Amino acid sequence: MTVEVQAKPSRLPHLSSDKQLTFIKLAVLSMAAILSFGTRLFSVLRFESVIHEFDPYFNYRTTRYLTEEGFYNFHNWFDDRAWYPLGRIIGGTIYPGLMVTSATLYNIMQFLNITIDIRNVCVFLAPFFSSLTTIVTYLLTKELKDEGAGLVAAAMIAIVPGYISRSVAGSYDNEGIAIFCMLLTYYFWIKAVNTGTILWATMTALAYFYMVSSWGGYVFLINLIPLHVLALMLLGRFSARVYVAYSTLYCVGTILSMQISFVGFQPVQSSEHMLALGVFGLCQLYAFTQYLRERLSPANFELLFKALLTTLLATLGTAVVALTLTGKISPWTGRFYSLLDPSYAKNHIPIIASVSEHQPTSWSSFYFDLQVLVFLFPAGLYFCFSKLTDANIFIILYGVLSIYFAGVMVRLMLVLAPVMCIVSGVAASSLLSLHVKDIEPKVEKHEKKKKHENNLVFRSEVGALFVCVLGCLLISYVFHCTWVTSEAYSSPSIVLSARAHDGARIIFDDFREAYTWLKMNTPEDSKVMSWWDYGYQITAMANRTVIVDNNTWNNTHISRVGQAMASTEDKAYEIMQELDVDYVLVIFGGLVGYSSDDINKFLWMVRIGGSTERGAHIREADYYTPSGEFRVDSDGSNTLLNCLMYKMSYYKFGLVYTEGGRPPGFDRVRGAEIGNKDFNLDVLEEAYTTEHWLVRIYKVKPLPNRGV
Amino acid sequence: MSKIKMLPAMDKLRFSFIFLLFIVIKCESVNVDTVSSDIRFKNVDRTIDISSQLVKITSKLTLENTGGTPVKNFLLAVEQFAKNNVAFVGAKDSSGKDLRLVETTVKGHDQVRFWRVDLKDAVNAGSTAIVTVETVLTKALQPYPTAITQQEDQLVKYNGNLYTYSPYLVASQKTNVIINTKSVESFSKVKPFTQQDGAIQYGPYPNTKPFSEKELVIHYRNNSPFLTVTRVERLIEVSHWGNIAVEEVIEIEHSGARLKGPFSRYDYQQDHHSGPASVRSYKTLLPASASDVYYRDTNGNISTSNMKVKKDSVELDLRPRYPLFGGWRTHYTLGYNVPSYEYLYHTGNDYLLKMRIIDHIYDDMQVDELVTKIILPEGSTSVKANLPYAVTRLPDSLHFTYLDTKGRPVISFTKKNVVENHIQDFQLRYTFPRLLMLQEPLLVVGFLYALFLCVIIYVRLDFSIHKAEHHHKD
Amino acid sequence: MSLEIESMIRYTSPINPAVFPHLTILLLGIGIFFTAWFFVYEVTSTKLSRDLFKELTLSLVAALFSGFGILFLLLWVGIYV
Repeated sequence: MTVEVQAKPSRLPHLSSDKQLTFIKLAVLSMAAILSFGTRLFSVLRFESVIHEFDPYFNYRTTRYLTEEGFYNFHNWFDDRAWYPLGRIIGGTIYPGLMVTSATLYNIMQFLNITIDIRNVCVFLAPFFSSLTTIVTYLLTKELKDEGAGLVAAAMIAIVPGYISRSVAGSYDNEGIAIFCMLLTYYFWIKAVNTGTILWATMTALAYFYMVSSWGGYVFLINLIPLHVLALMLLGRFSARVYVAYSTLYCVGTILSMQISFVGFQPVQSSEHMLALGVFGLCQLYAFTQYLRERLSPANFELLFKALLTTLLATLGTAVVALTLTGKISPWTGRFYSLLDPSYAKNHIPIIASVSEHQPTSWSSFYFDLQVLVFLFPAGLYFCFSKLTDANIFIILYGVLSIYFAGVMVRLMLVLAPVMCIVSGVAASSLLSLHVKDIEPKVEKHEKKKKHENNLVFRSEVGALFVCVLGCLLISYVFHCTWVTSEAYSSPSIVLSARAHDGARIIFDDFREAYTWLKMNTPEDSKVMSWWDYGYQITAMANRTVIVDNNTWNNTHISRVGQAMASTEDKAYEIMQELDVDYVLVIFGGLVGYSSDDINKFLWMVRIGGSTERGAHIREADYYTPSGEFRVDSDGSNTLLNCLMYKMSYYKFGLVYTEGGRPPGFDRVRGAEIGNKDFNLDVLEEAYTTEHWLVRIYKVKPLPNRGV
Repeated sequence: MSKIKMLPAMDKLRFSFIFLLFIVIKCESVNVDTVSSDIRFKNVDRTIDISSQLVKITSKLTLENTGGTPVKNFLLAVEQFAKNNVAFVGAKDSSGKDLRLVETTVKGHDQVRFWRVDLKDAVNAGSTAIVTVETVLTKALQPYPTAITQQEDQLVKYNGNLYTYSPYLVASQKTNVIINTKSVESFSKVKPFTQQDGAIQYGPYPNTKPFSEKELVIHYRNNSPFLTVTRVERLIEVSHWGNIAVEEVIEIEHSGARLKGPFSRYDYQQDHHSGPASVRSYKTLLPASASDVYYRDTNGNISTSNMKVKKDSVELDLRPRYPLFGGWRTHYTLGYNVPSYEYLYHTGNDYLLKMRIIDHIYDDMQVDELVTKIILPEGSTSVKANLPYAVTRLPDSLHFTYLDTKGRPVISFTKKNVVENHIQDFQLRYTFPRLLMLQEPLLVVGFLYALFLCVIIYVRLDFSIHKAEHHHKD
Repeated sequence: MSLEIESMIRYTSPINPAVFPHLTILLLGIGIFFTAWFFVYEVTSTKLSRDLFKELTLSLVAALFSGFGILFLLLWVGIYV
């Protein structure tokens, strides 16, 4: 950044200075936008253009459905491929923004005869929106500070790992476009607050609508903006501009957001949205009192004010209590509690706690995802405080709140990353412009500054040193980001790769092998039971019906599957018959050492299986050794060694030599020789096992004929 | 070039753009032949190769004219039970030249399929001629038992005719059945016969009457790959920028004995003789100039394949995602580029594309349904197709892709029951004005210029309501 | 039929595919340069200082070079139009 700003002018001497400036701005911004696209392509170059992870496969499948069947069919879609036998109403249970966005892009391109595959649209959507985010960040920071800070912030957000983690090519998830929507809303909001025009406020509402349509995280936004208004009120900065901006935003935005069928009446019913409603009411009151104060004498006003306030508070309180009691205002949902109290979910809802991205963030991951921004952030906050404006108050609030939330849940790092970049951009730009001035003695300043300058010795040297240090920090930031992106966030997880002893790359393509096998060689209407992690992938890639999937909406259903996995074979057979299961799919990493397999997730199955009434007989303690260890070797608990999951994972594994010098049946993940080797399956038969044993599919045998 | 002469009435139709069919039944109703009593086969030497999944019958016929007038043609016949299995019939004379064959009918023999072979030189009275006839039957080998476990060998049954099926008297005939295995469960024992390793000889049998049949059953081990391509769609996209892109969408099924019971990965990995009837991989030969080869399916790239560049071809060792056992299916897309100078010729604005209707997929392949589509550059006109054998021409359509305005013409045809013998060239001539190649870049230029013009107009627009204020600012 | 084929010559691309990358870089480079010039001119010039002829010429040159550059880029990456 800094290097560029200094180097460019000398190369273009014939352009006038404002042309140079425009050229540099354009160049830096477009390069940042291109860079943010490019840096997300590691996995495409290393592997192929493929959808990553789990949830993106659902989004990909629904997008494909949308492009094939049209919006109305999509909206009314009842999906019988998931949650058998319950099914799922897709149209009413998703945020359709992502699918609609890519379907629109796809249709536009088809119209222009650009025959690009819908999968590629989905794969490259997140990088594309990252480019847009870069530009929006520039605009937003420009509103907060100046163009220089905007450019630094844009360059920073282009490569910040915290954001890349969710927006690499192939990571086709809501967050990919939601961050763009969020920053766009903020930009319009700041614009609206600064200008006080209905135009910008309406634009804010529209951007907010887009945000609501694309991500559940909009709740953060609809709490942050009212908080900003509240803060402005408390600081005595409330003005007609804010009044116009917020009133317009709230009315238009709420009505628009209620058009999303998944959101429905929540904006006026659920407690998460009450702050926005309350602040809206407060705005009206505040404006009204100001109006009255102008018209009435102070004494009369005082009386009226007190009377009105008491009545209002009393009415409001009664209304809230009454509505909560009658159930009109929905209680606080579990995910929201876990935001406020990190231990809430773990203690109360195992299914939420079992997701790794819902875990609290560790300190190291702040540095890992943000690096130098962690240190620049406080400096940026200082600069924001030192010149307090309406916009700065907003960004301070946003920064502080998102730091708190990012600490609670790893995935909310995503919300923190943009504000980190913005505030750090402000910091870096302010610091640089402060010291670059000192380096160039040529530039004549006003008298006042000159006097000040003479007070310090080695001013230019110190300035140069400081610029150098900051430059080094920024360069190290670039290297760190590239390294993190390349190493940590660019593996598609559907294709695994490892290094052989001779350094050659081995590809484990077992997941797609298994899903393709399921798709081609099982009857069209087969029901596949697996742990919920793989539900979306099975429906998307194998096109088969699953019992549970990643949309963990029905705890008892998941619990039933957990019970089947944790039970003995004959007990499990009853459950599988009840659920009409034809095939069972397990992930087993013991042969190649893939650690996130089903045995390692097994305790969650036990916990979730035992969390409902019908699974009360499943107790976590039964699966531990007397000394409280989870072991798969011969010391392991008998219950574990005879449960269905164990048998399916280790069927015939006891005969396999996995490592030299080890006995057969040595599990390379658990590092132990398995305890139960010689067993047969009575109710299941091996239907398919992939090349590296990563996925094992079993067929449920039909009920034996009567009398046999 | 063409092996089977098209009918004169069809010539006009063939080149027109309307929906056009080469219907076999239609041909039959037109062609009626009679069995000449002047002809007899002095000697028939027949080889039936059933060592692969196909039945390949090669017969060396010694034709004798016993009548008074020269004989210009004679008839070939295929038994009723095998008539739907015939994929290919070809005939060559003694110098190895291809002879013309036309499918025909004979009154009184409605259940029999006939072909008329037109001889190059008429056979005079009393003299003889030698003709070699090759017939390829698909799906004539039945797995028996129909389902086997993973470890078992695949046994198949061949039901055939011990005698050469012919409308003429056969004076003497011998049959040699190649099975390439010693393990024969059972076979028809009609004397004289001998069994040597990998082959069974029958005959000579003297003086068999016309249309005589006698059951020949051989039940033997056959672990050669029983793969059926249920459908292949071959897409050839011609670009005048020097490239021809070929893409084949292939659906394959293992059509041998079905897998009974579980599949055990342990056994399959432990013992390389496990699953003798399964198919781990097969070889596909591509043209020597093929480049940018890709092999994928709907779930993405299939990472298990090897490519070897040989002198006259590119050999691909394709490994499906999973081994194919009886009844298992898979599908994939295989694509590559070849430079245009290999297959495209021109004089002035007239172009001629000479390519294979279908290319090699694996040895002894059998294809149920072939669809070949040829996408010509946008603006190509007066397209004429010249095909080596009868195919069903599908209606022409338009294909829209990058930088197209009115669409590229697509010529497509389909054929059922295709084997390796059908790997032959078609010719497609069309006219394309060379200047049209500039259309694509100019389209982009025009689009960009329109964008710039929008910018020029935009900066001249003034949306502000307060005009005066704007001037003040300036 | 075969006679006619013999009278025809093998068809090669008017531009050797080996030079597609070079052409792409050259043409797109020039194209981007003029595009940048055009945009900078548009942004920095005011209503009074604007010259329509210069704008049109700049954009035409930019469009020509970028257009052909994009075409060769497509050909280079394997989209044979």
